[in-house]
Amino acid sequence: MNLQETKAAVLTEIDRRGHEAVAAAKHILNDPEPGFREQNTSRFVGEKLREMGIPFEDGLALTGLKGVMSGGKSGPTVGVFGELDSLIVPDHPLSNTETHAVHACGHHTQIGSLLTVAIGLQAAGVLESLAGNIALLAVPAEEFIEIEYRDELRRAGKLEFLGGKSEFIKLGVMDDVDIAMMTHTENQDWGYEDKKIGVGANNNGMVAKRIQFNGVAAHAGGSPHLGVNALNAANIALMGIHAQRETFRDEDSIRIHPIITKGGTVVSSVPADVRMETFVRGSSISAYVAASEKVDRALRAGALAVGGSVDITTIPGYTPLAQDSALTEIYVSNAGQIVGSDNIARMGHRSGSTDMGDISQIMPAIHPYAASATGKAHGNDYEVQDYDLAVTTAGKAMAMTIVDLLFDGAHQANKITKNFKASMTRSDYLSWIRSIYSEETYTE
Amino acid sequence: MSGIESLKAAAQSAIDRRRDWLIDIADKILRNPEVGFQEFKTAQLVSDKFSELGIDHTDGVAITGVTGRLRGGNVGPTVAILGELDSLRVSEHRHADPETGAAHACGHNCQISMMIGAAIGLMIPEVQRVLCGDVELMAVPAEEFIDVEYRLGLHREGKIGFLSGKQEFIRLGAFDHVDMAMMVHSSASPEDAKFSLGATSNGHLGKYVRFVGKSAHAGSSPHRGVNALQAAMVALHALNTQRETFQDPDIVRLHGILTHGGVAANATPADVRYEGRVRGRTTEVIADASAKMDRCLKAGALALGAKVEITTIPGYFPLSNDLTFGSIFRDSAERLVGKSSFADHSNGPTRGGSTDMGDLGQIMPVIHPYTGGFSGTGHGEDYQVVDYEQAVIRPAKAMAMAVIDLLANDAAKANEVIKRSPPKMTRQRYVDIQNARMSKESYEGK
Repeated sequence: MNLQETKAAVLTEIDRRGHEAVAAAKHILNDPEPGFREQNTSRFVGEKLREMGIPFEDGLALTGLKGVMSGGKSGPTVGVFGELDSLIVPDHPLSNTETHAVHACGHHTQIGSLLTVAIGLQAAGVLESLAGNIALLAVPAEEFIEIEYRDELRRAGKLEFLGGKSEFIKLGVMDDVDIAMMTHTENQDWGYEDKKIGVGANNNGMVAKRIQFNGVAAHAGGSPHLGVNALNAANIALMGIHAQRETFRDEDSIRIHPIITKGGTVVSSVPADVRMETFVRGSSISAYVAASEKVDRALRAGALAVGGSVDITTIPGYTPLAQDSALTEIYVSNAGQIVGSDNIARMGHRSGSTDMGDISQIMPAIHPYAASATGKAHGNDYEVQDYDLAVTTAGKAMAMTIVDLLFDGAHQANKITKNFKASMTRSDYLSWIRSIYSEETYTE
Repeated sequence: MSGIESLKAAAQSAIDRRRDWLIDIADKILRNPEVGFQEFKTAQLVSDKFSELGIDHTDGVAITGVTGRLRGGNVGPTVAILGELDSLRVSEHRHADPETGAAHACGHNCQISMMIGAAIGLMIPEVQRVLCGDVELMAVPAEEFIDVEYRLGLHREGKIGFLSGKQEFIRLGAFDHVDMAMMVHSSASPEDAKFSLGATSNGHLGKYVRFVGKSAHAGSSPHRGVNALQAAMVALHALNTQRETFQDPDIVRLHGILTHGGVAANATPADVRYEGRVRGRTTEVIADASAKMDRCLKAGALALGAKVEITTIPGYFPLSNDLTFGSIFRDSAERLVGKSSFADHSNGPTRGGSTDMGDLGQIMPVIHPYTGGFSGTGHGEDYQVVDYEQAVIRPAKAMAMAVIDLLANDAAKANEVIKRSPPKMTRQRYVDIQNARMSKESYEGK
């Protein structure tokens, strides 16, 4: 088979069996699990891979899986990610009644598009014509949530990093992967008219913080003068953070958005233990590291003002996403064949974050979007409507891109990896991200 | 009528004869308000009136103060009658100086008038002859603790050692030959009736605070700036959160004004100034609240990465009215207005305001009663005299009669007051304590 015949075979196979992947996505939608807790989802993906006869490892970074499809000849490995985890949005109509977990970010369709790729590449004769391997990476915990829970896993030695892809890098899961891709859902009303697929976006990087203000409890009515109010410290700290927003440059896209996870114990007692979590995001590492220092200053100020103390744990989050432009163009030519080249949006900077950013620091990567959902991402109304686009089309475009990359002795893949300038090596990446960890206790 | 009683009646008649003349003084000062340490015209008026009455006096005490002395027929203790020269600044006040915003929104203009009125009652020969001791008449500058930046400038230039008039008078030794002191302040509170006397008032200290940031174009490069106004906002917000830690009986008050909030709206404010006040029932309470204010000011600087300079200025000691002295004043006041119109607050709560009469109370027995005759809100735009008889004439009479009671009969009552209330500290100790409370701290937030 020549290149076009190979791609045609992939598309035909997906048209024939793609509904299995859509069904898998919908199955996962109905059993949402947040990051590092995706036991059911992980088991389900394992069953699917087993049914498809694809060898895999599981239990990677607690719940991750890696299936490998080998090409006819040796060559580079292209990784395809599907994120296993859900969000937690209590008032989403589809959220789990107990855990409030819900796929309000559409990750369930990623497992669908990952399986679609596998289905397509299983078409007769396709793998034989490829030089290299395909790694099917079902990765845990893209949503950076439940920081306290995950940080306890970290302290217990079960994890080192709080995002799945950083863990994959650390564990060596990515060591034999040379190029990576995945497809994320987006709202259909996304500011790019009615285009279907978006490419080329950059994303903010970020650090996360666990914060604990410590005061002194006392009867809030009878003797507040004996207390030190940790909630007031937090309140002042929040104001201190807000007071600095004008110092952030537009181009740095700084985002700081704390939550209070514990605001006191009982109303009649001066709050002595108040906890917050926050992210500090920005478009460049230097920008968000500088903003993180400003946040720390404001947190200390809160403790100083009330005469309490504050424990600040800074946790490495995600690194800014930079998509590989050569890889993007190959993807665009394939996706354009399916949705029409007029329906591809060239995207700009996005102020959210993804751990695909970490991957993009060490290897060529793309993270296109499929405009398949309605509602606000992470909101109580986000629902994937267009499964054909989110699962089937997304899978087709990635599978065709893989064929382009690994066909003909993988000369396209080799060109891309050769021209890729990594901002850091894998070991530099790990030492850098480890250097972000810090713990400090500030007392006046 | 006993001898003393007829002397008191004669003193009252003398004051009544000068009624319009006295009210005119209060009115002139009302229409010519001057703030502390700048009461030059007011001081000149006092000096002229003393000259007119033939009272020996000294001008220029603590810049604008005027002190005169009436000699008693015999030697004995000296009783001082004080009147405060200075106005406030309330630019919305009906009688505000349109240029300076100065206004007598605290009724000090009537104090000068009643002090001169008391002198008139005591100067009639048959009264002056029986006094066993002298009467010091003191027109004192700067009771209102305002214009801190200006006064710190005077302090730097060595023109004053403390920022209020009575503090300066103490430091300069103007009270060295005085044994007890009184004055009557105005009040518009119905609960203060026509006359009232309480037990205690808050003390305080002052803060002169400068937040130092870094200016930058507020539109094009705010990221290069460090916003001192934001630092001040965070600090003030933090200050408010401390309030729940103050105990009700301690009457803590934290308040202040921003005197400089930036230069131009399009530049990041880099120099923002705050004048603060910390009040409380005792010096310990004030010190605790002051430490909390400092913490909050530093927190503002820390949050923004700015610098804050905190100058702490010795303010006023809490006032304790001398109750023996007070009962003598009360007898005179009740004689004028009847028992039911005298409000005895000697078991009442500490008043939230402060006066440098509290400082004087550290070194001698003092009383600081209140008189009615006013309406509106003290320090507000509507504070005004509604009854000059009560605001000037009756207090003048009450003080004159109290002096007669104190210094007649070999000054037996004055000596009793002195014996019962030894000074809490010497003048030197007072000056040392106040000097020690003056401090300057610079904190770099990072």
